Amino acid sequence: MTTETEHAIEVEKLTKRYGELLAVNDISFTVNRGEMFALLGPNGAGKTTAVEIIDTIRTPTSGKVTLLGMDVTKKKYSIVRRIGVLPQGFSSFDRITVRETLQYYSRLYCCRNTDIDGLINLVNLKDKTKEQYKNLSGGLRQRLGIAIALVNDPEVVFLDEPTTGLDPRARHEVWKVLQGLKKEGKTVFLTTHYMEEGELLADTVAIISRGKIIAMGSPRELIENNANYQILTLQSVDEIVFETVRKIGFEPVLNNGKNIKIRVEHSDDVQKILNAIKDAGASLLSLDVRKPNLEEVFLKLTGEALREGPVGGKGAE
Amino acid sequence: MNPRVVGANLFVKLMSVYREKTTMFFALAFPIILILVFGTIFMSQDNVNFHLCVQDLDQSKSSKESIKALELNGNFKITEVDPAFNATQYVRDNKVNLVLVIPKGFGISLTRRKVFNDFRASVTVTYIYDPSSSSVSTKIDILNGVLAGVNQELSGMPPFIKSVTKSILTRKYRFIEYFIPGIIAMAVMTLSLFGTVNLNTELRQKGIIRKLSTTPITRIDWILSDILYQFIIAVVSTTAMLLVSYAVFNASLHINAWLPAFILLDVFAFVGIGMILTRFVKEAQSAAAAANAISFPMMFLSGSFFPIELMPGFLQTFAKTLPLYYVNEGLRASMVFVDNMTALRYSAIIGVFAAVVFILGIIATKWEEGK
Repeated sequence: MTTETEHAIEVEKLTKRYGELLAVNDISFTVNRGEMFALLGPNGAGKTTAVEIIDTIRTPTSGKVTLLGMDVTKKKYSIVRRIGVLPQGFSSFDRITVRETLQYYSRLYCCRNTDIDGLINLVNLKDKTKEQYKNLSGGLRQRLGIAIALVNDPEVVFLDEPTTGLDPRARHEVWKVLQGLKKEGKTVFLTTHYMEEGELLADTVAIISRGKIIAMGSPRELIENNANYQILTLQSVDEIVFETVRKIGFEPVLNNGKNIKIRVEHSDDVQKILNAIKDAGASLLSLDVRKPNLEEVFLKLTGEALREGPVGGKGAE
Repeated sequence: MNPRVVGANLFVKLMSVYREKTTMFFALAFPIILILVFGTIFMSQDNVNFHLCVQDLDQSKSSKESIKALELNGNFKITEVDPAFNATQYVRDNKVNLVLVIPKGFGISLTRRKVFNDFRASVTVTYIYDPSSSSVSTKIDILNGVLAGVNQELSGMPPFIKSVTKSILTRKYRFIEYFIPGIIAMAVMTLSLFGTVNLNTELRQKGIIRKLSTTPITRIDWILSDILYQFIIAVVSTTAMLLVSYAVFNASLHINAWLPAFILLDVFAFVGIGMILTRFVKEAQSAAAAANAISFPMMFLSGSFFPIELMPGFLQTFAKTLPLYYVNEGLRASMVFVDNMTALRYSAIIGVFAAVVFILGIIATKWEEGK
C-alpha cells in the first residue's frame, strides 16, 4: 500500500555499514516533490551508498527510506516503475545504437508510448541516434544515461555524479539537460562533488562528510549561515604583498602559487588592505571580490577541501 | 515472466553478437575445426592401413609372393628393405617401428612343407621392433594373426572354430558418426557456459547489471532471455557443424526432434551452471578460468572425444555423474542408434539436472548489491 505525501523521499536514521566501515551514519532528511535535491560531498563521503539505498540498488543496515510513500526495502518492484536512475559510472551495451538502447529500456518498463524522439531531442542526441554506444564520447554517454533514466516518465529521477569525468563543455551540456528536467517539474535527486553544480541546479543541498549530513538548506541559506564574509583575491608579482596583508592582521592564503585569497568580514576591510599594499609600494595585477561559495562552506564546516582527496575510507562510496 | 522483457533482452544480445562478427566467427569455427581435425584423423581409422617394412633375405619367388599376399591382406602398406642393410640399424635410422625379416631358405622350406609334406621343415621370421612405439604391438598382433592363418592353411586341415561378425546396427557406422554427436554436445556446453559467464561478468563489471537492477526486469526474465539467446546460437552452431560433416565427411546421422530437445536441455543445464559461477567470480579473467575448470574435465571425461570404456573403472563411474555424459549418450542414442527409449531416459536425467541448476541459477543471480 502506498501513501502519497508531499515528500517524494523520506530518509530516517539511515545507516549503512561495510564491516568496520560506517559508510552512511544515521542520516535523516526529506525531499519535496518537484524539488531538485543535491547531495554534495567529496569522494568517499557516502553519497553513492546513500543514493543507492534510496533508489533500491543497495539495502540499508538500519533506518528507513520511504520513496513515493513506499518502503524501499519492501516495494522494490513497485518503486522501480516510478523512478529513473543514472547510476555512478553508467555504461550500456557497446554494440547497441542510441535509439535501440532507448527502445530496449522502454521495453523493460513495458512502455508502449515512450516518446523516444522527444527524449533524444531533450538530451540533444538527434545526430547520434544510429551511433553505437561504444563510439560515443563521455558527455554523450552521460546524456544517453539521463535519457534512459527518463524512458518510463519517472516521478523521481536519481542522478549519481552525472558530470564526473566530463570536460567543462560536456558538463555544461548535461547541466542544460538537468535544468530542462527542473522545468518539467520532476523530482531530481542529484549527487555531486562539484559545488558549482549543486549551487547552480539544486533547490536544496545537503552536505555530507564521512557518512553524516553536516548541513542542509538552499545554497543561499547555506552560504549565508555558514560563510558570512567575502573573498578578496589578489594577483601580484610583488612578493611583499602577502607579507603586507598578514602584517595588518589578515590571514592570507596563497592559492595556485600566485593568487592570494583573503577572507574579509567588514565592508572597509578591502579598502584597508588596498591602502596597505599601496603604502608598501607594491602593485597589483588583478583584484576580485566575491561572495563565498559552497566549497568555502564545506571547508569551513569540515576543515577539508571538497574536491581534493578522499575523506572516507575505501569503499565508502 | 514477461515475454516483452525477454524479447527485448534477446534482441540486444543477438544484435550485439551479430555486430561483433569476430567473436561470432570464432564461436562457430571452434567446433567445426574440431570436427575437421578429428574427423580427418579418425576417418583413416575406419580403414586401418599400417606401414610395414619387410626385409626379404631369401629373394625367392615364394618369399616375394608371401610379401605380396601380406599387402593384399589390406592391413599393410609394404616397404621393402634392401637385404644388404642391417635391419636393427635401419629401424633406428629411419624411425620405423617394425621390420619383418624373412630369412634365407624361406622358399626351399615352404616347398618342402607344401610339396613333400615334410613337417620338419619350418622357418622363423624375425620382428625387429622399437618397443617405445605405441602402435607396434597392434602391428605385431595383426602379423601374428596373418601367420597363424598361413600355418593353419599349410596344415591341410579345415579350421574347427570359425567366426562371423554381426553388428547391432543395421548398417556399418563410421567413427565420424559417433564423434559428431559428442562434439555437438561439447560445443553447446562451451557456448552456453562461457557465453553466460563471460557476458554476465562483463555486464556486472561495466555496471550494466546495476543499472538493470533499477528497472522492472526480473531474474527469471534475464535468465530465460539468456537461455533463448544461447539456444539460438547453439542451433546455428549445430547446423554449421552438421553441414560441414555432411559436406566433408558424407556423415549419415538421424536428425529428429531429439536433437533440438537435447540442445535445449544442454543449454538450460550450462546456462544455469554459468549463472551460479557468475555469482562467485568477480573479474572477467577469473570467470574464464572458472568456466575452464568446469568444462575441461567435462569435455574429456564425459565421452565427447572418445568412449568412456577406454578409461579406468573409477573414471567411468565419475563420468556418469557428469551432465555432459547424458547429453552425449542421449544424442548418440537418437542420432546414431535411433533408440528412442534410451534417448528418453537420458533426456529425463539431464532434464532433472537442468531444472535443478536453473532454479539454483535464479537464486544465485544477484541484482541488488551490498546485502
